[in-house]
Amino acid sequence: MRHLVTSVAPLPLQGGGLGRFIDPFAQFLTDVANMEPVLLQLLAFGLLLGGVYALTALGLTMIFGVMDVINFAHGVFLVVGMYTVWLVSTTVGISPFVGIPIAAVVLFVLGIGVHILTVEPIIEAPQQNQLIATLGVLLIIQSAIEIIFTPDPQQVELSLGSVQVGGVFIPLGQFYALLIALGTMLGVRAFLNRTDLGRKIRGTADNRDGARYVGINVPQINYLTFGIGAALAGVAGGSIALFQRFDPFTGETYLINAFVIVILGGLGSFPGAFVGGLIVGMIQVFGGYYLPGTTSQVLIFLLFIGTLLVKPEGLFGGANA
Amino acid sequence: MSTLDSVRESYQTFDDQRFAPLVKGVVLFTLLAALPFIIEIDVAGMELAATLSLKVLILTVIYAYTAQSWNIMSGYTGQFSFGHAAFFGIGAYATQKLLVDFAINPWLGMLVAGIIAALYGLLIGALSFRFNLKGHYFALATLAFAELLRFVVTNMSELRGANGYFKPFPRDYGAEYGLVAFQFQNDLPYYYVILGFLLVVTVISWAIKNSWVGLYFFAIREDERAAASVGVPSFRYKLIGVAVSAFFTALGGAYWSMYFNTIRPDTVFALFKNVELLLPAVVGGPGTLIGPIVGSFIVTPVSEVARTTFTNINGLDRIIYGAFLVAIVIYSPRGVVSWPSRARALWNRVRGDTEVSER
Repeated sequence: MRHLVTSVAPLPLQGGGLGRFIDPFAQFLTDVANMEPVLLQLLAFGLLLGGVYALTALGLTMIFGVMDVINFAHGVFLVVGMYTVWLVSTTVGISPFVGIPIAAVVLFVLGIGVHILTVEPIIEAPQQNQLIATLGVLLIIQSAIEIIFTPDPQQVELSLGSVQVGGVFIPLGQFYALLIALGTMLGVRAFLNRTDLGRKIRGTADNRDGARYVGINVPQINYLTFGIGAALAGVAGGSIALFQRFDPFTGETYLINAFVIVILGGLGSFPGAFVGGLIVGMIQVFGGYYLPGTTSQVLIFLLFIGTLLVKPEGLFGGANA
Repeated sequence: MSTLDSVRESYQTFDDQRFAPLVKGVVLFTLLAALPFIIEIDVAGMELAATLSLKVLILTVIYAYTAQSWNIMSGYTGQFSFGHAAFFGIGAYATQKLLVDFAINPWLGMLVAGIIAALYGLLIGALSFRFNLKGHYFALATLAFAELLRFVVTNMSELRGANGYFKPFPRDYGAEYGLVAFQFQNDLPYYYVILGFLLVVTVISWAIKNSWVGLYFFAIREDERAAASVGVPSFRYKLIGVAVSAFFTALGGAYWSMYFNTIRPDTVFALFKNVELLLPAVVGGPGTLIGPIVGSFIVTPVSEVARTTFTNINGLDRIIYGAFLVAIVIYSPRGVVSWPSRARALWNRVRGDTEVSER
């Protein structure tokens, strides 16, 4: 994505004042009017990125929806997934695609461990305590990765190449990541809707006290949810590792965007997470192309704040995980 | 009756006096003022200064100050802000912008910065409270407002983008090293300046707590709807809380920008800055006057000493700090201020004395 952006001549952004805010949008509209082929390419990149973003938000929205806990360690869970896939493929020599389910298992176990040690004891405490506890977990895991694998960026050795479809350039690594994201989302949805355990999780998300009254073992659902949420982060991180370099601190950006997606889509809503992921992905790709620097991130936060204020239940609010 | 009981009794008598808070405050701040000298006292060939430098003390008081400021809003009115880096960053940036580009004295710039931060706080508050954001949603909204500023500043060439500001020399704005210039040749005066800041914000916090404003704040925290039903204008008072808190947090940012040489969006608006600013209050005991100060003297030195001790393995200090955070919120959810009463309860249990329960 980067090389495409840099290969295009910089847009005329001279002059201060309002021009620099209006010009990119004017440029965008002109391109739309002229049906520039680059738009189709950007759309493809937005879709590819958005699908992966949706996957990163899935575990977060589940934990948030069921347990009402903001899990700040989610970003670093993604990073653990990335490093698992990288480690498996470079040292053991197994395909990174096999590494992704391994990452899911590793994260499931890690997630349950983290839950029992840090979240479970304070599940009824004021929310800021959970927030600080998960932040502590973030620091511990992030620094542990830094010590073990150095802070240098790593990369999974994988040259998948790309395909051209109707003039649109599609990197296969990202394409597979999108397929994994879609498959995982459908799989988790089926699990939540059709299995007994899935129904218990949804019931707990709906009404924790009610769930207890009808005999659901809520503490058990809690740690399973946390484990599954972490496992989803493992899958997401593993998929990102297919096409992107990463370091111990990569999780931070993904974490913030995952929060945006969770709120945008609606707490605990899977279709919401998908649409939210697409929106954020599109803003980043189009913004990265038309706007200078990281201005697209400003748009994302404005959208986030707007959603929180006008429709805090999100675009797909009300629907349960 | 043991000696311990009589000591406690006489303390209780003292505590009931009207002048008790004043005496405690004077004792506390005298102690804090003497601290730079206390750490240099030689005890059996060891001095605290070996691990606890003046720089660590300054940082500790800075975070005690910011946590005390955060406390006014989040501890007293119960609106948990996770975005105080917004105000801190505004304080640092507005001060430096006025200083570097317009040669305006930092003391004046600091007040302007405080007002800008208070206005931004009012904007955040007016929007969030009007739309009735609560709990996690409010925390995430404040975080978003802080992150928003980080990216806005990073992308504004008028604020020097990602490079940030480099603190100018006093002669660049027509001043000499000293109090007027807000710059000193060594660290000791810096310590007393931030201690003065802490004193001011603590006195103001105390005044708020002991007035009808504080009464309204705590009523809102305990049960907003009940408070509103007896006529507490909760919207207005929550806004007052945000504005006062934002103003003082910005002064902390201004101090930061005058103490350290550079400020960048990634330092003053950093994601983790939001946590550092409020952590002492949560650790010490949110909503209490002494909590942020005690909390900072626990949290900040641990972080700093770990950083300077484990220099050979990069990152080990953060593991220790992280484990410390987890442990403290699990084992002390109501803050350090609850330790004495918990210790007393434990002591009573050990003695088999059940009549005096935990206070």
